[in-house]
Amino acid sequence: MVRGVLAKTLVISSAVLAGTAGMGIVGVLAQSAPGGAAKIEPKGSLTLAWHTNITARWLDPQHHDGTATPDNFLMALHDALIKNFRDKLFDQPALAERYEFAEDAKSATFWLRPDVKFHDGSPVTPADVKYSFEHYRGAWADVLHKNTESLAIVDDHTVRFQFKEPFLDFPALLGTGNVSGAGWVVPAKYYEAVGQSGFLQKPIGAGPYKLVSQEAGTRLEMEAFDGYYRPVHIKHLTMISVPEAATRVAMIERGEADIAYFIPGELIGRIKNNPKMMLAPVLSGNWWLEFPGFQDPKSPFHDQRVRQAISLAVDRKAINDAECDGLGKVDGNWINDDVQYAIDWPEWEHNIAKAKALMKEAGYPNGFKVDWVTPTPAYYSRGERIVSQLQAIGIQSKLQVMERGVYLKRLQGGLKEWPGVQIIFNATRIGGSWSNWYESMFKCGGFNSQDFFCVKELDAKFDRYLASSNPAERKTLAEAIQREILEKYYFVPVFRHTFTNAIGPRVQAAKWEDVFPTNRTAGYPYPWEDIALTEAAAVQK
Amino acid sequence: MMRFIIRRTLYALITLFILSLTIFTVVRLTGDPVSLMAEPGARAEDLDRVRAEWGLDHPYPVQFLSFLKNIATGELGKSFNYEMPVSTLYFQRLPNSLELAAAATLLSFLIGIPAGLISGVWVNTGWDNFGKVVALLGLSVPGFWLGLVLILVFSVWLEWLPTSGKGDWRHLIMPALALGWYFAASLLRLTRSSMLEVLRSEYIKLARLKGLPGYVVIAMHAFKNALIPVLTLAGLNLVVMINAAVIIEVIFAWPGIGRLLYEGIFQRDFPLVQGVVILAGCMIVLINLAIDILYAYIDPRIRLTR
Repeated sequence: MVRGVLAKTLVISSAVLAGTAGMGIVGVLAQSAPGGAAKIEPKGSLTLAWHTNITARWLDPQHHDGTATPDNFLMALHDALIKNFRDKLFDQPALAERYEFAEDAKSATFWLRPDVKFHDGSPVTPADVKYSFEHYRGAWADVLHKNTESLAIVDDHTVRFQFKEPFLDFPALLGTGNVSGAGWVVPAKYYEAVGQSGFLQKPIGAGPYKLVSQEAGTRLEMEAFDGYYRPVHIKHLTMISVPEAATRVAMIERGEADIAYFIPGELIGRIKNNPKMMLAPVLSGNWWLEFPGFQDPKSPFHDQRVRQAISLAVDRKAINDAECDGLGKVDGNWINDDVQYAIDWPEWEHNIAKAKALMKEAGYPNGFKVDWVTPTPAYYSRGERIVSQLQAIGIQSKLQVMERGVYLKRLQGGLKEWPGVQIIFNATRIGGSWSNWYESMFKCGGFNSQDFFCVKELDAKFDRYLASSNPAERKTLAEAIQREILEKYYFVPVFRHTFTNAIGPRVQAAKWEDVFPTNRTAGYPYPWEDIALTEAAAVQK
Repeated sequence: MMRFIIRRTLYALITLFILSLTIFTVVRLTGDPVSLMAEPGARAEDLDRVRAEWGLDHPYPVQFLSFLKNIATGELGKSFNYEMPVSTLYFQRLPNSLELAAAATLLSFLIGIPAGLISGVWVNTGWDNFGKVVALLGLSVPGFWLGLVLILVFSVWLEWLPTSGKGDWRHLIMPALALGWYFAASLLRLTRSSMLEVLRSEYIKLARLKGLPGYVVIAMHAFKNALIPVLTLAGLNLVVMINAAVIIEVIFAWPGIGRLLYEGIFQRDFPLVQGVVILAGCMIVLINLAIDILYAYIDPRIRLTR
C-alpha cells in the first residue's frame, strides 16, 4: 500500500493557490514564477558559508536521499517539472509550464515550457523527463515506480504519467524538493555518457546556476545560466564548506561571506548586535520528550500523571532563550505546522507546584531515577537543560551523549537498545504530511519508533486514515490521533527550534524573509535566482 | 645489510597488515554507515538499497578481503560520499596539506630551534625561563582555541588576515601558526635537552680546552650534533601535520587531508577513513623504514645487533 504521504485535499488546495481547478487539478504558472520578465544582467558575486562538508551526491537529483539538505544544491543547479517555490508547496510549475492531474488521480500530464535548456545548451525534452523518472533510484523511487503504469511521450513538449491505481500522493512526491528527486530532470544523453560518478563530478542541470568548478567536499563555484527561463540576479555564486560556526560568523563579519548558515545560540548575539547584519531565524524542526517502553506497567512513565508532571516541569521558554536566543517557538504540537493536517496546540504550562502534586499523586513524592536522558546529537546542551529542570520534581537523571549514527542506529533497534528507564529528547523535520511524522516517529514498527510506544487504538485509527479516500474523514482521523498523543502526554513537545542564519550587508534585503522566502517549506534561501546584491555590492570586484 | 633491509621491510608489511585490520575493524565498530546517509524518517527500503549498492550487505571477511585486494592493487576503494576513488581525493588534498605542513614546520623551526638553543646555552637564566613558559603554553594551549583567538584578533578585530580558506600567502599564516605552535614547543623542549646533553659531553670540553671561541663550539660542534634527534622528530612531526591536522583544518576551513579524514569519520565513510589512515600509515612506516636503514648504514652496530 502506498504510505500515507500527502492526500487529496492538499493537492487540491495547493493547486488552487497556483491556478484553477478545472477538469481534475490543473497547475498553471504562478504569478511569482513568470517566464517573461524583463531581462536582467546578472552582476557581482555572492558567497555562502555552508555549515557541513559538501557531499557529492547532493548534486545529483537521481539519488536524492529523501532529506532537506540536497534541496540547497538542487535548487541552484537543477530544475524540476513542478516544485515548491517561495512559501508555496510542491505544485508550482517550473520546467513544466502547466500540468493536469486527472480527477480520478489515475494520470498526470505535464507540458514543458518552450525553449528550456540544460547548461550545455541542449533542450530539455520529454525524453529527458522520461529518463529521469524511470532511472530515478533515490528516496521514494520504489513507491513512485510501483504505482506508475507508464510514462508516455505525447509530443515534443508533453508527457503523461499513467498510474495503476489512483495515486493521490503523486504530485506531492514529485514536487517536494526535500522528499524526493523524481521530478527533477537530468540530461539523459549526458548522464548515460558519463555515468553516475561522472555526473557527480560535472553535473549538468537546467537550474539557474551552472557549475564552473568544484573542490570535492569543500567548494562549489557557479555562474548564472543565461538560458534560464527566469531572470538571475547574481553572476557568481560560491558555496564554501565551513564546518566551524565561529569561523562562519567571523567570515560574515569580515564580509568574506554574504550568507552563513546555522548560527548556534551562543553566537547569535554577535550577529544580533551587529547593525550591518541580519538574522534569519527560520523555524525548523520540532523537539519533544518521549518515553520508550511507557506501556510497561513497571515503568514510572506508565502513569499519565508522571508524563504530565514532566511536561509541567519543563521550562520551555528558558530552553528556547538559551538555545535559540528566544527565536524558536515554545508552544505547539510536536509536528510542524507547515505539513498537511498538523493541528495547532496552545502553549504548555510551566508549573512546578502542580508537577510536584501530580508526582505525589502518582506515588513518586520524592521523584525517581531515570537512567539516561538522550538528546538528538549533537544538541547535547539541550539535554543538559532537561536533566537539570527535571531535578525540580525529584527526577534524577544523567545525560547520555551519542554520536549521531549510533543514536539513529539505536533508535532503529527498538526497546532492546534502551533498557531501564529512559527519556529520549527527540527531534526531526519532515516535509509533506503529518502522517510521515506519525508513521516514522510514533507508529508501532515505525522506522524510528519501533516498539517504543505501540498504542494499538491509535495505530488502528491510522490504518483507517491510510485506507480512506475521503478527505474529510482523513482530516478528522489525523486530528483525533494528534490530539490524543498530546492530551495523554504520550509525547511531551518542548519547542520548535530555529535554523538560524546570518545575512551580510551586501545582500539586498529589507527583511530576512526577502532572502529566505522559503521559510515555510525549507530552511534555505531560494529561489537562488531571485537573490540580489545591493547596487554597490553588485559592481564590486 | 641486505638481510637487515629484508627483515625491516617484512616488519613494515606486517605493521601495515595489522594497521589495515585494525582500521577495518574499528570503523565498523562505530556502526552502520548507511544510517548516516539518511535523516530520521528515511525508510528501511531506502537504507537497504544503499547498503546493497555499496556492498555493505556482504559478510565482513568478504569486505576485508576486498579491501586488502584493493590496497594491493593500489586502489583504496571509492568514497561513499564523493563517489570518487579515495586515492584521487587524497592526492587532490595532499598539496594543500603539504603546503600547510611545510609552513607550520618552518614556523616551528623558526620558533622552536632558536628558542631551544638559547634555553640550552643560557640554562636557568631569564631566557631559559621564558623558553620554558613558551614551551608550556605551546604544549598546553589547545590548537582549536588558539585558532579561534587568532581569527578573532587578526581577522575580525585588526582585519589584517582572511579568516579561513585557501588562497594567497595571507591565508596560510594563521593556520600555520596554530598548527606549528605545538610542534614549536616540542622542538624547543627537545633542542634544549639535546643541547644540554651535548654541552656536557667530553668532546665539547676538549673543544673549549683547545681555546675555540664559544660561538664556534656551540654552532660548529654542539648544535650540529644536538640537531640529529631534533630533525628526526621534525620529520615525524611533518608526517603528523600532513595527515592529522584535523582540528586546525576544520577551524580554518583548510581543504587538507586532516579535514578529509574528519569528513570521512563524521559521515562514516569507511573507504575514505580506511584509505586516509592506510596512506598515512604507509607514510609513517616508510619514513621509519628509511630512518632505520639510514641509521644502520651510518652505524654498523645497529645492523649487527638487531
